[in-house]
Amino acid sequence: MSATMEQGTARRLRLADLHKTYRSRGREAFAAVRGIDLDIEPGEMVALLGPSGCGKTTTLRMIAGLESVTSGSVRIGEREVGDLPPGKRDIGVGFESYALYPPLSVRENLAYGLRARRSMPDARIRERVEAVAERLEVTDLLDLRPAALSSGQKQRVALARALVRNPPVLLLDEPLSHLDAGQRQRVRRELKVLQREFGYTTIVVTHDQLEALSLADRMAVMDGGTIQQFGTPDEVFDRPANRFVADFVGEPAINLVPGEAADGAVDVAGAGRLPVTVAASGPVELGLRPQDCRLSAEDTAGEGPAATVEVLEDLMEFGLATVALDGGGARMVVQTEGGASWSAGDRCRVQAPGERVHVFAPDTGERLA
Amino acid sequence: MATRERRPGSRRFSPAAAGADLLLVLWFAFSLFPILWMILLSLKTQAEQTSTYFRFTPTLENYTTVLSSEGERITSVDFTGALFTSLVTSLGAVALSLAIGVPAAYAAGRWAYRGSGDVMFTILSFRFAPELMVIVPLFIIYNQLGLFDTAFGTIWVLQLVTLPLIVWILRSYFQDLPEELEQAALLDGYTRTRAFLTVALPLVRPGIAASALLAFIFAWNNYVFPLILTGSENPTVTVAVTRFLGGGGQAYYNLTAAAALLAALPPLLVALSIQRYLVHGLSFGAVKS
Repeated sequence: MSATMEQGTARRLRLADLHKTYRSRGREAFAAVRGIDLDIEPGEMVALLGPSGCGKTTTLRMIAGLESVTSGSVRIGEREVGDLPPGKRDIGVGFESYALYPPLSVRENLAYGLRARRSMPDARIRERVEAVAERLEVTDLLDLRPAALSSGQKQRVALARALVRNPPVLLLDEPLSHLDAGQRQRVRRELKVLQREFGYTTIVVTHDQLEALSLADRMAVMDGGTIQQFGTPDEVFDRPANRFVADFVGEPAINLVPGEAADGAVDVAGAGRLPVTVAASGPVELGLRPQDCRLSAEDTAGEGPAATVEVLEDLMEFGLATVALDGGGARMVVQTEGGASWSAGDRCRVQAPGERVHVFAPDTGERLA
Repeated sequence: MATRERRPGSRRFSPAAAGADLLLVLWFAFSLFPILWMILLSLKTQAEQTSTYFRFTPTLENYTTVLSSEGERITSVDFTGALFTSLVTSLGAVALSLAIGVPAAYAAGRWAYRGSGDVMFTILSFRFAPELMVIVPLFIIYNQLGLFDTAFGTIWVLQLVTLPLIVWILRSYFQDLPEELEQAALLDGYTRTRAFLTVALPLVRPGIAASALLAFIFAWNNYVFPLILTGSENPTVTVAVTRFLGGGGQAYYNLTAAAALLAALPPLLVALSIQRYLVHGLSFGAVKS
C-alpha cells in the first residue's frame, strides 16, 4: 500500500457542475442534483450529509457510474470518467445493503470481484483476499456464508469487498446505518483508522450528522440537489452558511428566533438584547446553539433576553432547559451545567457571546457575514 | 386444576368447529366425486359402462385397450403416441418460453422503459383472453404456413399459455433481488450480461423451476389449441382422450375414463412434487415485505 506521488494525484476526485435530471413520461422532469462542484484532495475523506431526497445518494451513484450523468464532469486524477461504465472507473463502493452474494462464502465473495478481469492468477487472488481479510480482521469469517454473519461483521466484509481491488476512490453509502449504537461508534473509529492508513480518497454518504462530523475531513451539507456548504466540520458547525445548514447540523438543534439588528447588537424577539459581531441592521433571523448559550439569574448584570424556565431535562453531564422568551411566542433550548438547579417558573436571562450568535437574512436564510 | 397451555394456532374443540369440519368433508367428497366416478367408470366393462350401479367386477382391460393397438383401431389415433406428443410439445413450449421469458422477465423486473407496462400487459392478456378469440385466424395461418398438425406448430401456439406465466412469475422474483448485487458486480468490471448470468440467474433458480413446472402443467392441460390446430398425425393427449367418445358411432365412456386418468397422471405427479414451490411461486412478490 505504498502511496507514490503519482498514485497521490490519481486519487484526486473532482466533480464539476454535476447535474441529474430524471425525465419520465407523463411526469414533470425532476432535477435530483442541480450543479454540484466538489474538489476532493487525494486521501481525503468527505461526507455528503443531508436529509433524505437531497440528492446525496444520486451524486454517489453518478460518481460510481450506476446512474447516468445528465451534465457536468466527474474526474478521477486526470481522467474524465463521466461516460465510462462502472467497471472501468476503478471505484470501490460499499453499499448500504452490503450487497454480499448469499450463496457464496465470504472468501468467494471477496475473490469474485477480482475474477472479473480474468487476468489475475488464482494464487494472486488468494493472496490478495487473505491480505485484505487479515487487515479487516475477517479471516475467521472467510468460510462462512453472509447469512451467518452479524451486521457488524457484514459491514466489515462489505468494506473488504470494496477494498479488495484496491481502488483509488472509495464510496460508502450509509455505511453504518444498519448497526446498533454501540457497534456504530466502534466501526466509525475503525473506518477512520483504515481510511487514514490506506489513503483512499473516500466519500461517505450519510444522513447522520454525528457520522459526518466524526468521520469526515470535510463535509458537504446538501439540500434540494445542491451543496449548501462545503467545509471542515468545525467550519460547518461554527459558521453555518445559511439557516438550513445551521438547523440541520447540531444536536440538540439550533434555536432559530426572529430578531432586530442595530448598532452591533440584536434585539431577540423583543425580550432583550444580545451583542453580535456582524454589522447588520433591520429584521434578521438569529441562530443560537444551545451549547453556546447559558442561563443566568434575572438580576445578573449584562445583556440578554429575559425568559421563564418551562422545563429542565437533567441529562446528568448537562441539562437542557426549555425557556419561553418574554413577549410571548418564541421558545429556546439552552444547555445548562450538570446539576443546575433551575426549575419550572424560574425567571432567567439567556446570554451568549457575540461571536456565537449566527445572523441570517430572514427571507433567503443566507448568513449575513 | 391448571389448563394446559395451547400452542398458537391450535383450537379448542367446539361444536361449531366440528360442524365446520364436517361441512368441509362433505364439500371435499362432493368436489372430488367426478374423479371417483371416473375411476369407477374406468374399471367397468363395455356392457356396464352406462349402468349407475356401484356393484361390478373391476377390470383393468380398459387401460390395456387404450394403450394398445386395439385403442388405435377404435379411435384411429395412437394414444401412446399422443402421450409422447404432449410430452414433447409441453416440454418444448416450456423450453422456448424459458429462453425468451427469462431475459424478458429480467428486463421487465429491472427497467421501466417507454411502453414497458404495455408490453407486460399484452403478455398477460394472452393468458386471460379467450382462446377462441384467436383460434380461427390461427387455423388459417397455420394451414397456410404448413404448421397445421405439427409438433412445432403446437409448441409455438402453446407460447400463448406458457410465456405469460413464466414472464410474470419470474419478474417478481427478479424484482425481489436486490439490485446492488449486480451493481457490485458491474463495479468489479463484469459486463451486464455476465452480471445477469453469474449473479441474478443463479439466485432465481427456484423461481425458474416453479414457473417452468407450472407452465408445463398448463401446456399439458391445454385442449382448445391442439383440438383445432392438430389432426390425426400429431394430436396431443387431451385431444386423443376425446376420440374415445366416438364421433356419431359407439361412445366408449369406460375407455375415455381410463384414457383421461392416464393423461392426468403426469401433471398430477408434477404438481404433487412441486406443491410447496407452486404456492410459493404463485404468491411470491404478491406481498411487499
